[in-house]
Amino acid sequence: MRRNPVFAVLGVALLVGAGWGVSRYLSHGQWLAVLAVAWLAVLFLAWPRRQKRTGPASIESVAKLGLVLTSVFAILALQLARIQAWEQERIVTRIARDEETGEVAANPRLINEDLRIDRGRILARDGSVIAETVIDDGLAHRRYPDPATAYVAGYFSPLLYGKFGLEATYDAELRGEAEVSAWTRWQDILLHRPPRGLDLWLTLDSSLQRYAHELLGDRTGAVVLIDVETGAIVALASNPHFDPEALVTTTAEERDAAAAYWQSLLDDSDRPLLLRATQGLYTPGSTFKTVVAAAAIDAGIATPDEVYRDDGLLDVEGHVIIEANRPDDTIEMWSLRDALAFSLNVVFAQVGLELGANLLWHYAEQFGFGQEIPFDLPVARGQVASSKEFLESAPAIADTGFGQGQLLATPLQMAMVAAAIANDGAMMRPYLVERVVTRDGETRSETRPRVWRQVVSEETAREVRDMMIHAVTNGYAYGAAIDGLVVGGKTGTAETGDGEPHAWFIGFVGDPEPRYAVAVVLEHGGTGLSGPLAIAREMLAAAMAQRA
Amino acid sequence: MTLMSATRPALPRFRWRELQLVVLATAAVLAGLVSLATVNRGALVTALWQDIQASALVAGLFLAASLGFAIVRYRGDQTILPLVATLAGIGLVFIERLQPDLAALDPDLAGLASRHRIYLAAGMVILWLAAAFVPLDWLQRFKYTALLASLALLAVTFVFGTEINGARLWLTIGPLQMQPSEVVKLTLVIFLAAYLAEKRDLIGASWRFGPLRLPPIPYLAPMVVMWAASLLVLVILNDLGTALLFFGIFLAMLYAASGRPVYVLTGLAAFAVASWLAYALFDRIGIRVQNWLDPWWDPLDAGYQPMQAEYALASGGILGTGLGLGQPWRIPEVQTDFIFAAIGEELGLLGTCAVLALYLALVGRGLIIALRTRDAFLRLLATGLAATVGIQAAIIVGGVIRVIPLTGITLPFISYGGSSLLTNCLLAGLLLNISATTERGQPAGRRR
Repeated sequence: MRRNPVFAVLGVALLVGAGWGVSRYLSHGQWLAVLAVAWLAVLFLAWPRRQKRTGPASIESVAKLGLVLTSVFAILALQLARIQAWEQERIVTRIARDEETGEVAANPRLINEDLRIDRGRILARDGSVIAETVIDDGLAHRRYPDPATAYVAGYFSPLLYGKFGLEATYDAELRGEAEVSAWTRWQDILLHRPPRGLDLWLTLDSSLQRYAHELLGDRTGAVVLIDVETGAIVALASNPHFDPEALVTTTAEERDAAAAYWQSLLDDSDRPLLLRATQGLYTPGSTFKTVVAAAAIDAGIATPDEVYRDDGLLDVEGHVIIEANRPDDTIEMWSLRDALAFSLNVVFAQVGLELGANLLWHYAEQFGFGQEIPFDLPVARGQVASSKEFLESAPAIADTGFGQGQLLATPLQMAMVAAAIANDGAMMRPYLVERVVTRDGETRSETRPRVWRQVVSEETAREVRDMMIHAVTNGYAYGAAIDGLVVGGKTGTAETGDGEPHAWFIGFVGDPEPRYAVAVVLEHGGTGLSGPLAIAREMLAAAMAQRA
Repeated sequence: MTLMSATRPALPRFRWRELQLVVLATAAVLAGLVSLATVNRGALVTALWQDIQASALVAGLFLAASLGFAIVRYRGDQTILPLVATLAGIGLVFIERLQPDLAALDPDLAGLASRHRIYLAAGMVILWLAAAFVPLDWLQRFKYTALLASLALLAVTFVFGTEINGARLWLTIGPLQMQPSEVVKLTLVIFLAAYLAEKRDLIGASWRFGPLRLPPIPYLAPMVVMWAASLLVLVILNDLGTALLFFGIFLAMLYAASGRPVYVLTGLAAFAVASWLAYALFDRIGIRVQNWLDPWWDPLDAGYQPMQAEYALASGGILGTGLGLGQPWRIPEVQTDFIFAAIGEELGLLGTCAVLALYLALVGRGLIIALRTRDAFLRLLATGLAATVGIQAAIIVGGVIRVIPLTGITLPFISYGGSSLLTNCLLAGLLLNISATTERGQPAGRRR
């Protein structure tokens, strides 16, 4: 092949195209390697072929020197294109976080804008303010008036810790960037018109959220109330929680106070920065039996009337499961329906073994275990087990069958499990942001309820729903009954290995059509009969009362 | 036209081309200054009208220089001055633009623009004098004096130098501070040009050492000396940028003189080894390398400056924020090492590429001047001077945009700094002077 400048020019053109296409996938080091190779290739291609003997200070060597310098400048231009065009947006918004202090280093231009911009409000569905911005002397102060709802918005701390939660997820909307067309935006930039932020209307009900906190008191735990038909989150309470207003840093004075508060949050052994409702991972305990029951019925292995033997002990390859839940020790044969109502571990260990590792894994995944749950806030990912190998042993399958083993789930996910069973097996995509609205009240976008996945067949779901109702009318969940309404539920107790077990309750309410589902967890809250069950009942009753 | 110039071959025509280009450059500078004065930045301080007027006057010196050349019927190249005027004008506008913001951060920087104006005015005078009056054969004759002066200056800097930001680069004489390495780069080019021109006949010779064919001693000796000198600059003055620049100049000139890539490759390899050693031995250089690969490794401390530069460049995007509308003062040392990032923020990719193109044009013009001279010394001198501008610009721009590790040297003609501005104007003046020797009475306008 002839080497000449035409090839060099073609090569550079190719490189520009390739750089535009792949530059975003390369780290800086890899990109530099590409540049180096490209530079050598271009030089090689463009290098004059004539190998005439060159004299001292010949025309040719001076020209070649010019060629080398030109190629160097071409490489510089390529790198500039990467920084200023191809990778521009990623770099502008790049954020670094200091591992030790949690302090955030971001583009000061954006921080500067954040300090001044009239950021949109975050509102509960009843119109009460969760977050708003007050402009004072050109500086924007973020306010969170209601401590019970504030932390759901996340935090907004431009000078120190950046943004988190809805403040981060919906940053573009709150800043007003997503409001307008590219053309209007251009005009705004040219005329230096500050954008006005959009308001977020949430599905959260502030009175139910406050009620949830009232019920939780100072106990550590979480409450999630979800609209069965839509997947809208109506209450999302976590205790303990933080006060985002104390993290707002518009001025230097606020900085020190915010840093001290942040440090106290980090030092707190109760970890108030962890939103337990979405980020807390707990063993689901007996609440998982609803999933196992649904799996067995859906897979055709059992019906609610199927009878299992439970004489108080089950030996699974030397691993002995002791039954402590039978209401009557003289009865040894139990239907699956009653087994769920009385939370019989020995029966569900057998059901788990009948299902086997594969079906158990499959249905747990169907119900969201180990899956990335799409949501407006960061959600911790649960698990069936840390790996599939765990389920290779029979004792592990038996333990998983009644909700122990290595299972982990967030309260949000367990609320979704209850909601999916109440909603004919359709697990809705959970959401918190209902509408994005301009200051003039014009709706820009609206969240449409969407089915995330059909976890089991409609028939299966109805059978399990009736079993959960049976658990309230005839079983251990009887305390959850509400006059005039249909309530289904399942208690749970999760052994933690240290101290009192965590206590669970999941359930739903209907009139008789199911309306709301709930999940409550109390850390080290003892058995699931008293605390979580009472909280769940109150929440369901309050939600229905408000609906009426 | 042909008839006219044929009848009057001895007198060059009026330098219309240069004047036209300089008018363009001056107009651009004036437009920049006016837009600075009128930009609305709310409550923030903008440049004062009197500052703008003073800068406009200095920009007028470009025109004066060109008219001066025209009046004395100067024979030199007609594009060097416009290129220098454009680059220096961009520098002037940006220093003017940065001053109010920098003064708000640090009151010591309040006199930045006025000092820069004085340096630039002096620079224009020096350019003019160097172009018109310096006898080039003197430079050749006093080559060893130049070398000794270079080494002496470096030694004096080492002994009496003032340390700023960890590098011992400045000499303080009374109220004045100068950066000898800027001057030394010129004396070095002069010495190398003279030396290599003198020994050029030895090019064919080589020196057998067993099975090896070594380059002739006259090439080998200065190579070793230069390598050692660069290394000393690196180690003693703690200045990677100057070391890289000196060595780059040396390699470029050695290649131009010998036409042998082998020398260059050997030299590069030696420099690579030295750099690696320096990297392994000095923490300061290790940090530079870390920052080169990823300044986000220590965002609040060591990586702060390059990270801010990257934010500034990216914030500019393709078109830039517009003059006076960005926030480049957030980069520490933006007026010297990082002025290119300020250009990138406010003038965008178009602006940065235009600046690169201007440097490339200046280098290209310098090399063309070199090619037009018959005299070996002048050819090597012009080559060296042109390469110096190109290499220096590439080193600092490459550092700012993280193609190579950052080394603190100035961006020729644009950065704030007296020594840098004056020496670069002297360099441009010498280039003009060389070009004037080649015209041999031919009107430059005919070379279109």
